[in-house]
Amino acid sequence: MRLPLLLIGLFVALAPAGAEEIASGSSFLSPEMRRQQDDPNRNPAWFWVDQGKELFAQKPATGQACLGCHADPATSLRGAAVRYPQVDGASGKLLNLEGRIEQCRVERQQQPAFGYESAELLSLTTYLASLSRGQPMSVRTDGPAQAYYEAGKAFYERRQGQLNLSCKQCHDGLVGQKLRGDTISYGAGTGYPAYRLEWNSVGSLHRRLRACSLGVRASQFDYGSPEYLALELYLAGRAKGLPGETPAMRR
Amino acid sequence: MFNARITLPPQAKVGETVEVKVLMRHPMDRGGQSDGKGGTVPRKILNRMTATYAGAEIFRIDMHTGVAANPFVSFSTRAVETGDIVFEWREDGGATYTRTARLTVI
Repeated sequence: MRLPLLLIGLFVALAPAGAEEIASGSSFLSPEMRRQQDDPNRNPAWFWVDQGKELFAQKPATGQACLGCHADPATSLRGAAVRYPQVDGASGKLLNLEGRIEQCRVERQQQPAFGYESAELLSLTTYLASLSRGQPMSVRTDGPAQAYYEAGKAFYERRQGQLNLSCKQCHDGLVGQKLRGDTISYGAGTGYPAYRLEWNSVGSLHRRLRACSLGVRASQFDYGSPEYLALELYLAGRAKGLPGETPAMRR
Repeated sequence: MFNARITLPPQAKVGETVEVKVLMRHPMDRGGQSDGKGGTVPRKILNRMTATYAGAEIFRIDMHTGVAANPFVSFSTRAVETGDIVFEWREDGGATYTRTARLTVI
């Protein structure tokens, strides 16, 4: 009676890892850097979380603070960040977390937008994403989001730039190998906004994607561009189930 | 924008050695880049950090342009009495920043 079970177990163990089975960027860090990332007293990205928390409670010149609507964010917004990017019901557009914060700021708070990659928007995004630490990535890739997801997948698989490389060639095909002194990861993006040593600062996923585009000598798209938004959705869909890790540290 | 995260053990016994960890938020700009107007950006770093506890200076570090942004420093001191450890930073240009952390000694 034990034999069939044993056989099934053996098959499961021997089954090749599916293309969808990916690991987060943290598993490619050195042990020392991983310890630094996991220690809030040594990971500088927590300064951005602190700043975001302050901004969240701060009343703008007119209107309410974020806290006025989103009371008790540690509970009410837990798990919100891992559902982004998502399609905005009213406009039908794809919004990432940065886009949603800016939309709230402009439409509800009636304040001028912070601007992508500004210290304020980065801090708020990092803070909100940090509330979903450990929650599984769970973006919707069906229904209205499907077209965006497919566009992101096509972008991921398309060769581009002078080096004529697609994202997939490295981030699916050459994972674990070395590139310019770093280890190639799956490009899961679950730790962003993350503190990168190269930047000496926290930066958004789109800043990282711009660095990727530059790396293969392809055209860099703008922060918040439709191309990167679709790619962000594809990456998040590909990382489905992985825990959110913001604020992470990356090389 | 300056900020600091100071970590102390929750409490210590008299005479015990405690580890003090300090993480600072500062760009530590070494300067020298073009300002686009024919000049150069001046250096702006935290050039000194001191810690005072129980009436004595217990730690001092002079920092130079080789120190990365958002520096981390840790040092040890002996617990003497319950009181504040006062940290002070001196920035290029004369600005100073102060933070305190309470050490509880039982």
